[in-house]
Amino acid sequence: MELNANIPSGPLAEKWDRYRFERKLVSPANKRKYDIIVVGTGLAGASASATLAELGYAVKTFCIQDSPRRAHSIAAQGGINAAKNYANDGDSIWRLFYDTIKGGDFRAREANVYRLAQVSNEIIDQAVAQGIPFARDYGGLLANRSFGGAQVSRTFYARGQTGQQLLLGAYSALMRQAAAGKVTIVPRREMLDLVLVNGRARGIVVRNLITGEVENHSAHAVVLCTGGYGNVYFLSTNAMASNVTACYRAYKRGAVFANPCYTQIHPTCIPVHGDYQSKLTLMSESLRNDGRVWVPKKPGDKRPPREIPEEERDYYLENKYPSFGNLVPRDVASRNAKEQCDMGKGVGETGRAVYLDFEDAIRRDGKDVIAQKYGNLFQMYEKITGENPYETPMMIYPAVHYTMGGLWVDYNLMSTIPGLFVLGEANFSDHGANRLGASALMQGLADGYFVLPYTIGGYLAAESFPDVPVDHPAFKEAARDVQARVERFLAVGGKRTVDDFHRELGHIMWEHCGMARTNEGLNKAKGMIQALRGEFWENVKVPGSERDFNQSLERAGRVADFLEFGELMITDALARQESCGCHLNEAYQTEENEAKRDDENFCHVACWEYAGDDKEPVFHKEPLVFENVELTQRSYK
Amino acid sequence: MSKTINLTLKVWRQEGPEKKGRLETYPAKEISTDMSFLEMIDVINDRLTLDGKEPIAFDHDCREGICGMCGAVVNGHAHGPEKGTTLCQLHMRHFSDGDTIVVEPWRARAFKVIKDLVVDRSAFDEIIRAGGYISANTGGAPDGNAIPIPKEVADTAMDAAACIGCGACVAACPNASAMLFVGAKVSHLGLLPQGRPEAARRVQSMVDRMDELGFGNCTNEAECEAACPKEISITNIARLNREFLKAKLFSPHS
Amino acid sequence: MNWVVNALKAAIGKKLMMAVTGLAFCGFLTVHLIGNLTLYGGRDLFNSYAEHLHSLGPLVTVFELVLLALAIVHVLVGLTLFYENWRARPVRYCMNKWAGGRTIGSATMPYTGLILLAFVILHLMNFHFVDKTGRTIFEIVAGAFAQPWYVAVYVVAVIAGAIHVSHGFWSAFQTVGASHPKYMPLIRGVGILFSLIVGIGFGAIPIYVYVAVT
Ligand SMILES: Cc1cc2nc3c(=O)[nH]c(=O)nc-3n(C[C@H](O)[C@H](O)[C@H](O)COP(=O)(O)OP(=O)(O)OC[C@H]3O[C@@H](n4cnc5c(N)ncnc54)[C@H](O)[C@@H]3O)c2cc1C
Ligand code: SF4
Ligand code: FES
Repeated sequence: MELNANIPSGPLAEKWDRYRFERKLVSPANKRKYDIIVVGTGLAGASASATLAELGYAVKTFCIQDSPRRAHSIAAQGGINAAKNYANDGDSIWRLFYDTIKGGDFRAREANVYRLAQVSNEIIDQAVAQGIPFARDYGGLLANRSFGGAQVSRTFYARGQTGQQLLLGAYSALMRQAAAGKVTIVPRREMLDLVLVNGRARGIVVRNLITGEVENHSAHAVVLCTGGYGNVYFLSTNAMASNVTACYRAYKRGAVFANPCYTQIHPTCIPVHGDYQSKLTLMSESLRNDGRVWVPKKPGDKRPPREIPEEERDYYLENKYPSFGNLVPRDVASRNAKEQCDMGKGVGETGRAVYLDFEDAIRRDGKDVIAQKYGNLFQMYEKITGENPYETPMMIYPAVHYTMGGLWVDYNLMSTIPGLFVLGEANFSDHGANRLGASALMQGLADGYFVLPYTIGGYLAAESFPDVPVDHPAFKEAARDVQARVERFLAVGGKRTVDDFHRELGHIMWEHCGMARTNEGLNKAKGMIQALRGEFWENVKVPGSERDFNQSLERAGRVADFLEFGELMITDALARQESCGCHLNEAYQTEENEAKRDDENFCHVACWEYAGDDKEPVFHKEPLVFENVELTQRSYK
Repeated sequence: MSKTINLTLKVWRQEGPEKKGRLETYPAKEISTDMSFLEMIDVINDRLTLDGKEPIAFDHDCREGICGMCGAVVNGHAHGPEKGTTLCQLHMRHFSDGDTIVVEPWRARAFKVIKDLVVDRSAFDEIIRAGGYISANTGGAPDGNAIPIPKEVADTAMDAAACIGCGACVAACPNASAMLFVGAKVSHLGLLPQGRPEAARRVQSMVDRMDELGFGNCTNEAECEAACPKEISITNIARLNREFLKAKLFSPHS
Repeated sequence: MNWVVNALKAAIGKKLMMAVTGLAFCGFLTVHLIGNLTLYGGRDLFNSYAEHLHSLGPLVTVFELVLLALAIVHVLVGLTLFYENWRARPVRYCMNKWAGGRTIGSATMPYTGLILLAFVILHLMNFHFVDKTGRTIFEIVAGAFAQPWYVAVYVVAVIAGAIHVSHGFWSAFQTVGASHPKYMPLIRGVGILFSLIVGIGFGAIPIYVYVAVT
């Protein structure tokens, strides 16, 4: 298989303009003749649906939750980047582009990232026009803050609820189009298969989560905006329904999966406190602007934090990385926390936590200022832990947060299946091996508002598409498969719950395919997952019936896919015999324990093609060519 | 410090919208006080599953108080007795050993029960669809700093925009009224200069839709404000009333 | 005029009618109370106040008709709201507690309202639609309040009225949209004060008369 990224020719800064001019257009009168299915209503899905509908396409939008407004994007806290340079601190499109490429440890495509930086400014304008109440200065102008991995203030925010506000903006645009009759919203549906006709994506099979009915939906193109797969680790900061199913089903139908092992571990989360725990809560990274990270210098020091004198504290990030200090990129911060805890310097009941201390900030700026900036985060922390962070330092520990890997897409955001487009966290495109803070919201909205609406037109205009009825044999076959699978889950009747399997899988993944990986561990994990998968199909217990609202059944489907997908992640991690960004193979480290890349052999996107159940997937690579930046060893010293 | 407690749960079980429901009693033994309320239900559900019974259906997603998906009436309080807290953020440390906890779904004509604690809140989407937006097509927006917005205005708008659409206001309202939800959206958009051009149209069509959907009428009980996990103020209802009156009296389109 | 009907039909429209008529009643109560205070000045003062009122002639009738219209609106719309609100929750909670917003006033509005309605009818039959030939109004009042059960009924009704007003007053401001973080606490305070004045002012009269006469 040849992976052609379809990057337009010409100088980097002109590619997107040139592309937009050269791309074929669909005439306004014809647009309404095209049905487009959008799966997912996060920032990517909601913005794409709304914009496609504004253009005149007939859009059908699906989501798992009861309302499009509840997609996982709602939980993003910290902010969204843009190269506005309102802070006059030297930002530019080029700098945002460079920071993103460098932050991703030179494992992303230049052209895509540059385009992302280019449209970033329009996103802010669009969001303001929709009524997003971004934070403002007393003069009434937009306020900015800085985020990990950047030395400029380019992050726009709405208190600690930026994702919520941006999503509600996109959702309102979506509802406006629903009112205009241009979008049909189909909530409480889960996509369980992709339907191909003549090699093109022409529809999906979904399960109605209320009635349990299996439904077929046909269209001229399918857009997946189904988010990330961090829940393969069971415990993550992702929402409970986040899953890999839609992407994985597309993969099984022939879409190539790129870089599945790239997983971001977020440094500032509330530590795990018990077996029953169902989810981890992120404390926005913006906290690192004012909070100072430290551990006791002496391993095993169990004194309460306030009793540990200044000189017995190790502000390890500030000491090790003087120029970025507490604001080093996420992977660096996470690994350092793990390292400290591994040395026995971790704090809290479990010893798997470090302090994030606001004492100095409160002394410097006053409690009010700190409360203004982080009030809701502090409140959230207190609710969960029962401790007051104004008085005692927060305890934090890294947690799985974001997945840079995803379905492979070209410059058009189209996967290897013609007519299947993939947006947002679900694709692999812009963040390389590590994503900078506040860039996911930017990417989701860039894809949905400003990229796909152009690129999909080119696809649709290029050819003519006969209508495909929903009783086409391809639909019938896919629906039959889905039905059979559902029945299989219910038939096992074993002794372990779905969550029990999920928890165990998560444990394996976290231990062996988490923050730091070894070939030995990965190989071991591979066998463990295969065994667990075998047991799942013999010993899982899924109660209830199929034609019903059955949440255990929903989860069973997702976990079954995770059990296969986890292995793919490990295969990918094993194939990448280097370290880069968030993928740290312990055999490849610099003297400072930083990821050590091997640009000679691994400067590529690793792509995996499904070859059949219980067969090793076929490996393809898309070489990464850097014409505009120089590959350097990342250093945040 | 965490410890474990034993509780008795009385949970509303209802197989479907047209089925008759009833409270069923389950022992909840050895519940860690560090658990969230939903994690406690997870534990009960695991036990029910292994006992060959159907687990309790309940909506949830983010489990951090922002998606608005969770919610149940716990001991007569929407989202439970803690102020400013969603059900997913309610922790078991607020209960004592030996407590009996009654758990019921949101109850309102406009929110039909789907199963057990799961209700249909699509009425909220319907209300937003009626006008809870600013009409700004993608692409045509002026620079984000083109219109300065006083910080106080942006902050007040943000206060209202913080609504998570959970429906606790309706559940807690003695009249099952949706005025706090509608007031929050009308305020958020109406306070901002971008939202003014459509303000009159917006408030009228949202209120009309709200009425059609079978919500009750506000009698200023303020229970919504007290139950709201995001502590949205009823000042937003006053603003909604004002916007409505203004639109009816002065807008040519009413 | 279609828009007026549309506006008033809406939930907020109905509430507006309640608020406007309710506030009008608050005004009426104020005037009525001031007039009634003349009772404390003794028989002559009270009688002369009554005569003075009646000398206004047709104006009084107009005023009465307006009050009647307001009352009809307030009662009918109130009953509609009560019914609609009851219907808005077909299945009730097994366990229901107040979240902290409700007050006795707000929770009992329909009931105190109905008590007031019954009372107003009684009150009018006693003092308005009675045969006044050969008796001054003071004598009628004094006669009525000589009976202890009568005094009791009045006092209960007045307390119900005060409770009704304690919620109704600020609620009316909220409904017409007159809410401002700076002034709302004041309005709430004035509402409570007003309900106290109404309660004590009207409630003391039958007791005073009873004590003075017997
Ligand atoms: C706690 C937290 C905080 C974050 N903070 C920030 C931040 O400050 N800044 C930043 O830039 N990024 C942040 N991120 C990352 C960012 O929020 C996400 O990457 C981004 O929102 C993903 O958006 P999306 O549209 O791709 O997908 P999602 O928002 O995940 O949406 C997925 C959608 O797909 C639907 N779906 C999924 N599977 C199926 C299926 N099989 N069938 C039907 N529908 C399906 C879901 O219902 C949902 O509607 C944060 C992430 C987390 C977890
Ligand atoms: S106003 Fe409050 S209670 Fe009502 S839906 Fe919004 S967040 Fe929930
Ligand atoms: S689960 Fe999202 S608010 Fe509770």
